[in-house]
Amino acid sequence: MKSAIEFKVNGERRQLEVEPWITLVEVLREILHLTGTKEGCGEGDCGMCIVLVDGRPVNSCLMLAVDVDGREVLTIEGLAEGGRLHPLQESFVERGAVQCGFCTSGMILSAKALLEEDSGAGEEEIKRGLSGVLCRCGSYKKIIEAVQEAGEKMKEKGRR
Amino acid sequence: MKLHYVGKSVPRVDGLEKVTGGAIYSVDVVLPGMLYGAVLRSPVAHGRMVRVDVAEAWKVAGVRAVVTGQDFPHTFGNMIKDQPFLALDRVRYVGEPVVAVAAETELAAQEAVGKVRVEYEKLPAVFDPREAVAKSAPLIHEHLEEYFHLPRYEIVPGTNICVIRTYSLGDIEQGLAEADEIFEDEYHAHAVAHTPMEPHAAVAQYFPPAEEFTLWSSTDRPHTMAKELAAALGTSLHKVRFISTYTGGGFGGKATMVAEGMAVALARFTKGRPVKVVLSREEELTASQTRVGAYLQLTTGVKRDGTITARKAEMIWDSGAYASWAPEVAFRGALQIIGPYRVPNLELRSRLVYTNKEISGPYRGFGTTQVTWACEVHTDGIAEKLGIDPLEIRLKNGYVEGDSYINGQILRGVGMMETLQRASRAIGWGEAKPSPGGSKRRGKGIAVTIKPTATPTESYCFIKVSDDGSVAILSSAVEVGCGQKTVLAQMAADTIGVPLASISVPQSDTHVTPYDLGVCSSRITYHMGNAVRMAGMEVRKKILKFAGEILEADPESLNLSEGKIFQKGAQEASLSLKELLAKKIGGRGGPILVAEGHYTPIGSPLLAALPGREGMSSIFWMFATHAAEVEVDTDTGMVKVLRVAAAHDVGKAIHPVMCEQQIEGSVIMGLSNTLFEEFKMENGRILNDTLADYKVASTMDTPEIVSIIVETEHPEAPFGAKGVGEPAAAPTAPAIANAIFDAIGVRFKELPITPEKVLSALRAKTKNGA
Amino acid sequence: MKRIKPFTYFAPATVSEAVGVLAKEGVGAYPLAGGTDLLVRMKRGDLAPGALVNLKRIAGLDGIVKESGGLRIGALATIRAVELSSVVRASHPVLVEAAGLLGSPSIRNLGTLGGNIGRASPASDMAPSLIVLRGRIGIEGVEGKREVAVEEFFKGPGETVLSSGEMITSIYVPEMQEGSGAAYMKIGRLEGMDCALAGVAGYLALGAKGREVREVGLAVAACAPMPLRVKRAEEVLRSGDLTEERLQETARVVAEEVTPISDMRGSGWYRREVVGILAYRVLAKAWQLAAGDGGGR
Repeated sequence: MKSAIEFKVNGERRQLEVEPWITLVEVLREILHLTGTKEGCGEGDCGMCIVLVDGRPVNSCLMLAVDVDGREVLTIEGLAEGGRLHPLQESFVERGAVQCGFCTSGMILSAKALLEEDSGAGEEEIKRGLSGVLCRCGSYKKIIEAVQEAGEKMKEKGRR
Repeated sequence: MKLHYVGKSVPRVDGLEKVTGGAIYSVDVVLPGMLYGAVLRSPVAHGRMVRVDVAEAWKVAGVRAVVTGQDFPHTFGNMIKDQPFLALDRVRYVGEPVVAVAAETELAAQEAVGKVRVEYEKLPAVFDPREAVAKSAPLIHEHLEEYFHLPRYEIVPGTNICVIRTYSLGDIEQGLAEADEIFEDEYHAHAVAHTPMEPHAAVAQYFPPAEEFTLWSSTDRPHTMAKELAAALGTSLHKVRFISTYTGGGFGGKATMVAEGMAVALARFTKGRPVKVVLSREEELTASQTRVGAYLQLTTGVKRDGTITARKAEMIWDSGAYASWAPEVAFRGALQIIGPYRVPNLELRSRLVYTNKEISGPYRGFGTTQVTWACEVHTDGIAEKLGIDPLEIRLKNGYVEGDSYINGQILRGVGMMETLQRASRAIGWGEAKPSPGGSKRRGKGIAVTIKPTATPTESYCFIKVSDDGSVAILSSAVEVGCGQKTVLAQMAADTIGVPLASISVPQSDTHVTPYDLGVCSSRITYHMGNAVRMAGMEVRKKILKFAGEILEADPESLNLSEGKIFQKGAQEASLSLKELLAKKIGGRGGPILVAEGHYTPIGSPLLAALPGREGMSSIFWMFATHAAEVEVDTDTGMVKVLRVAAAHDVGKAIHPVMCEQQIEGSVIMGLSNTLFEEFKMENGRILNDTLADYKVASTMDTPEIVSIIVETEHPEAPFGAKGVGEPAAAPTAPAIANAIFDAIGVRFKELPITPEKVLSALRAKTKNGA
Repeated sequence: MKRIKPFTYFAPATVSEAVGVLAKEGVGAYPLAGGTDLLVRMKRGDLAPGALVNLKRIAGLDGIVKESGGLRIGALATIRAVELSSVVRASHPVLVEAAGLLGSPSIRNLGTLGGNIGRASPASDMAPSLIVLRGRIGIEGVEGKREVAVEEFFKGPGETVLSSGEMITSIYVPEMQEGSGAAYMKIGRLEGMDCALAGVAGYLALGAKGREVREVGLAVAACAPMPLRVKRAEEVLRSGDLTEERLQETARVVAEEVTPISDMRGSGWYRREVVGILAYRVLAKAWQLAAGDGGGR
């Protein structure tokens, strides 16, 4: 009944045996103990569980773990490289885009994918790109500003 | 003393954890041997439990405990002890916990819950509090008088009225007789869901030999909840321990035991294995807590020039099936209905009423958002009928420094006028209205709120300094997102004279961090801030005394700044704090200093009032004005909030960006409550129990927000700081409604103001030949 | 959070394997594409399939290719792939527009076009555009292959003409005509992501003078038991030169022709009111695009 899956998480290769009804968010949080990814509704409505699979944001609560076989997953824990924060992480702290922090992972990863597709993304594009991540603390204004600032930094460094 | 941190928007101390996925919330807690809980909830709004059959549930592989109300017959409630952990023989709302299951996996627990069979005999139910008030209404709590309740609340046994409060001032008949015009209207502020992104969740562990419970919870008031739990179990506080995690949003909904109660009931029977209970989003929306819905009838007498002479108010608050924290909402709301205005004659009645619905409680204020809704739409209506500018009527009647509150308390730190002036200026009040053309109409509206803080309440803290100069603030102020830890660290750093980076603010643990009422009532910056300042000053004094010994100088001539000791007039530091402590303790090692801070407003001259009425005083008052500009599409009814200028009197902004976060965040939440959020009910059941259908604002709904921080003087506030978290949420709804009136001439008195309601009102208006 | 209950799992490597399993398992087996709808319903307990047939191991079902004067989109192409496809943008930009209004970016990265159509929600955001573009659905089953016009594919809420043992493999849309334009708009309860309370797709192909209507397509979402082609309204458009008045009349007939229900999202009254408004706005935009103003193909 269990399927063998092999995939990369934050650059590390992992091999697991999972039942087909287990979702990616359950694998990340409960088997790999990467609790930076949250689950706020389990139904794709809130965006707390968003991770990047092959660079694209997906609601990991609606992805069966068996479908991550052969793919690469990036969670919030994998964003900082060599101890250096990603420009998004820096800007989120500096611009006051973090309050309770529960949506921060979903917001940052969604923004990363957005900026990598369009580093010059303006306010409207950012609003649309982040429309699937809810923030009840209402940090949207500062989140948008932080994403814009990070976009500038990323352009300058020529980073992707 | 020079301020290095207070007043500056330093990087928040929990920022790094939160952007790297390292912050632990109650949903993230994992312990060895941990089991997972699931709850069977009543599908019936009101019924007697005829039979509970758990046999099939036990057969599911992995099940370790199945607990019913018979197994765990405790009730809880800090204000009125009326709520069973698990239904005993009766259910009173759809969603009430009936049976709890703990199993090796959450899936097994959920499957086992699906196998429990309960037979209910339905009882007549009542859903509208206005009906529940009637003598003929089905009685939800027949033995109300048998419950423990705080003497503060007057109950009405034999009815569904669990709290009644009346208040009179002056002579209402005279006041109304003096009026040139009398305006009467009814407003409805609806129940909304707090909708924190982190659902209610808790882990509980029971140690059978000593009958001790340990909980990991993201409640925002751990000591208060520990007390509630201990009282419910009939045990002592030293046997109940709450370890706090970060809170993923509270907004007032995490005051009451939701997941905690379930985890405790299960842990009691799992032979020492911890049990984690996480609410699904459906449970979060339907079976946790909502804002207290309220029907507010206002009758106000005014002179032709807009001066208010009298106000009568009849308030009915919807408690839901159990009282929980709603008694305080109805109690405070009773007076807050006056608004931030001088009103010499009052007759107020506030009743909290049981209904067979989800339990309600505080929501960014104890009734503040609801009474502000009513009061400010009402004030606008009065202005309209008198032909007075809505801004002018508020400037005329609003409080100024030195005014007396209704109990005679002299108001200090009153920034109301400045908030009105700056918010209205920022929105371009009075400027010619643009005509966007087509079906769009623009309008501007304004609203103002006043908010007290719970008085008197106490805060304690410890500050300890280790031998290398590391400082720890031991406080039970939970970090719910507002930046509690950061402001306390800032205040400690500038009080003691050490770098911010040397300070840690560990998580609250009720066995370790001393008593604090809780993160509520916008009270932490002021109360805990004062406690931290007091402890900090003692720490500083002790350090300078050591320095005086080591340097053979008068401590009065020494200064501690950024962790360095300076002699008077010297540019260079004599030695660092670390060096000082090393010299002081020699090679012994270990923590060297502990100081206690205890702040209470009791005895403060600021609370002085007419004899016997000090109970109504507040140690500080907060004021906020929101001015909104909206655009209404008259073809579709959709309301777009273009801009909100939000001005807040915070006393002093310890961290300006975090004040803006509260202001901006509340504008979003307020906008969301006003335009999108509502429960669709059918026979007491909430139909829209997912975020797909309980709509909250996203980035797409974000208006332009202008945050304006107004600073006023307050003689006892730490560095002058008051609070901001709750008042922020109140004026948005009426500001938007008043702007909609300005745009299309339709005055809404109920919430939410959906596109459908707007379109319907516009059609009716056209039909009536307006 | 709600956990998914166990099921028997199939991951066929070919279409014929997949339809074989579906036929054999019968009504107890559900095909799994993106999962954004199926898994939600399973978690809520609305569905408890004994078996799930994961279609995503089948190669070659996610392509977006030009084909004999039209476009063939594989059933497993994600909504996001459609949204970002330069091929689709070049030939059928209304599909890019509709895709961009569905859910959120992360949902669009999971949800598939075939899944959206196969779910047959009356509020499907993709169906109205596919209907007005005269789209055809490629179906394969144990009995062989067939094609069904999108507008004939839906039988009722959640019901399609697919029989047990059949699956959608692709959606074909013929090339848009010279001098044509198409648009899709929807209204929800707020600006953010929402299930449509009403959605309208309109397609206009105009003659050389820019006023004679050579071809028209008008379809609505969320205002009938299925995505509905509003033929009576189309007749109004066909009946003469395009004018402002004709547009308004058409919008009026759309509002009359639909049969919206009242549910917890909105009332039938409101849906009827706004579908007319949307129809007008969509046609105005399609007209503008067809006449070559502001872009178009």
